[in-house]
Amino acid sequence: MFSSSDIKQEAEKRALDTTDQEIIGKAIEDGIETAWERFALQQPQCGFGQLGVCCNNCAMGPCRIDPYGGKPSHGVCGANVDTIVSRNLLDDLSVGAAAHSDHGREVVEVLLETAEGKSEGYRICDEEKLKRVAEEYGIGTAGRSKEDIAKDLALGMLAEFGSVKGFIQMAERAPDKTKAIWTEFGITPRGIDREIVEAMHRVHMGVDADFINILLHAMRTALADGWGGSMIATDCSDILFGTPKPLTSWANLGTLSTDKVNVVLHGHNPLLSEMIVQAVEDPELKKYAIEKGAKGINLVGMCCTGNELLMRSGIPIAGNVLDQELAIATGAVEAMVVDYQCIFPSIPATAGCYHTKVVTTSRKAKIPGTQYMEFSAETALSTAKEIIRLAIDNYPNRNLDRVRIPGKPMKVMAGFSEEEIRKALGGTYKPLIDAIVAGQIKGVVGIVGCNHPRIKQDYGHVTLAKELIKRNILVVETGCAAIACGKAGLLLPEAADNAGSRLKAVCNLLGIPPVLHMGSCVDNSRILVMASMVAKELGVSIGDLPLGGAAPEWYSQKALPIGTYFVASGVYTVLGIPPKIFGSKNVLNLLAEGLKGITNSAFAVEPDPVKAADLLEEEINRKRAALGI
Amino acid sequence: MKTVFVRQDRCVGCRHCEIACAVEHSESKDLFQVFTEEKPSHPRIHVESVDNYLSFPNRCRHCDPAPCMQVCPTRALSRDEATGSVLVSYTRCIQCSVCAMACPFGIITFQQVRQLESDREVNAKCDNCIGRLSENRIPACAEACKTGALEFGDVNDLIKETRADLTMRLIRSQGSDIQGPAMPDNIRAYKAVMETIANL
Repeated sequence: MFSSSDIKQEAEKRALDTTDQEIIGKAIEDGIETAWERFALQQPQCGFGQLGVCCNNCAMGPCRIDPYGGKPSHGVCGANVDTIVSRNLLDDLSVGAAAHSDHGREVVEVLLETAEGKSEGYRICDEEKLKRVAEEYGIGTAGRSKEDIAKDLALGMLAEFGSVKGFIQMAERAPDKTKAIWTEFGITPRGIDREIVEAMHRVHMGVDADFINILLHAMRTALADGWGGSMIATDCSDILFGTPKPLTSWANLGTLSTDKVNVVLHGHNPLLSEMIVQAVEDPELKKYAIEKGAKGINLVGMCCTGNELLMRSGIPIAGNVLDQELAIATGAVEAMVVDYQCIFPSIPATAGCYHTKVVTTSRKAKIPGTQYMEFSAETALSTAKEIIRLAIDNYPNRNLDRVRIPGKPMKVMAGFSEEEIRKALGGTYKPLIDAIVAGQIKGVVGIVGCNHPRIKQDYGHVTLAKELIKRNILVVETGCAAIACGKAGLLLPEAADNAGSRLKAVCNLLGIPPVLHMGSCVDNSRILVMASMVAKELGVSIGDLPLGGAAPEWYSQKALPIGTYFVASGVYTVLGIPPKIFGSKNVLNLLAEGLKGITNSAFAVEPDPVKAADLLEEEINRKRAALGI
Repeated sequence: MKTVFVRQDRCVGCRHCEIACAVEHSESKDLFQVFTEEKPSHPRIHVESVDNYLSFPNRCRHCDPAPCMQVCPTRALSRDEATGSVLVSYTRCIQCSVCAMACPFGIITFQQVRQLESDREVNAKCDNCIGRLSENRIPACAEACKTGALEFGDVNDLIKETRADLTMRLIRSQGSDIQGPAMPDNIRAYKAVMETIANL
């Protein structure tokens, strides 16, 4: 299909990072099908679907609206284009909110089991945070054991999912002025499961047909994710595994080892992967690896599981979502261990071309062709050890003729939890506020989200981050965006050389990178908490702050609630990939313009990262001017 | 003369025309059975894409004179005078593919067809849905198209519509207040975003 010069060209077209390019080349030579091949086979993709004007909700359909204004203009039920587009958006967004929140629930369940002494391998690592969060929930801490407190807190958090009290405790962290906007427009989240269930109800035929009403509920559902499910996932993970602190590690496919047993931990939840981190310390397993001819065991992360491990334990990170097939194509992976979310169902087929074993672990996410080793809190550490043993057993099957590990890993600095950023500033956000007022830092932008085969892998993230820091705008990141910038060397204090002189001076003074890695995709909640604390210090709403958000390469449904809770909380957000809403002028106008009058923020779509930086800078300048700075 | 007129800028790449074509030429004419038939029917219209967002539904033009008919050594291709359709006699086709070499549009594909007992792959090009035409129905592809990218009708009427559109645009560009039938702003915005992505 490709000549060798074509392969190089194709690889450069697909990815920005040279280690990725090298393995894309190898995958093409090896005849491995990846997302890029499948994307090409899907062209042309259906325009009705892409514009959001296809409704496949009920059995009278599928229906679609002529986007050019002709007939058909209504579905069989009579739904018009605004109803169909907004209903589809609410549907997708609720899927994303459910994914984050169900992940969060599992962490709380393990916290409960740990408090009750029923789990294996877990302990409460951050007692200080446990007490702090417990107090928010009105749980007494004085003179009580951490297990007692954790039990009450876990029950309190589990109750948030089906809460009857009419609000989510953690959303109380938002500044009063932001909460007042939510109250005024009736979008204060009442319970995590409740908003998602109600969203599913509303998308049923013949329920909500008013696009404004549908989009307001989409905002409420998104807030239930950001200030509920995701925030619970972050805080409970911190309590169980420790709140991240700045540390250094490595990134890119070069983190795979030539002579150790490589285990890639891929997915989202730290529950299993943290146990695997413990399991590899087992002296017996270490010895077993050597018996099998390896020099040791090399754990690397991928996607948000990778971010969780990097943030707390400094485990190197091999890549982001489009790297999952490439990691296997190095021929050097003994086992890829997955839980859920963003796992390509193609993984076992890719693994079938090499010696790699794929291990699925969640009852919720089984994939045909993988080895299923069910993970539960009661037997977590034993299962983790079993998985490592399986990987070691597979090491002798590695075919050295088919192994290629590219380049050198890139050094990264990660671990910037909200607590640690505050600590670095001396315990309050006053110095950050002063720097913003003085113009040393013009504003702060969160770059988040995935990879998308429509855009050269990492190009959107890296170009936007570079463009923003050049303009003295501090960048905070999570998810695949953070991994992209890690591979590109932007998560290092030295990267401040790429920043504008004022931001550079701040970074040099504090010894921090101009792009701060704040965690996994549920950890966008850390950004919300940070924004909230700054706003409270100033007595303003989040919408008044010179902040921005961006998702240059998003693909996942989870990105929809993230973008929407950013916007609903007051953060202007630029998307690099158009959401499936362009079929409706009214929905477009509401999200791009109409919201400005409500939340003082809006969505924009701009794939060109330089132009996206222009939009974000303009918005930051507007908010600075309104604050009189 | 009636034809299926293509308005490329209205194609959204949904490929509904391809599916409708395959179903129409199957034995069962049923979407849910077509893929399990012994010789599954394949589309005779082809939606191809450029830059992952522009698409074009490429269909037999039923040319007159038709280069494929002119070069066929076995006279397997013939014209139905009533509808102007260029048709294939599968039994006469010898799979030489000279017709495909002569076709200016590259729309000829060779497939197994249910009308033949043997497994030979023959020229299975668009037959203009001649059976449907005889029942006063329009070709399946045009019926399936919901954006007006494929329209069946008298060619001069359809051209006239395009001409009127162009005239309006020209007048408008000269400063007239008359608004021609234009692409909706939201669709134009979407295409601009996709063009930016394609050029990144």
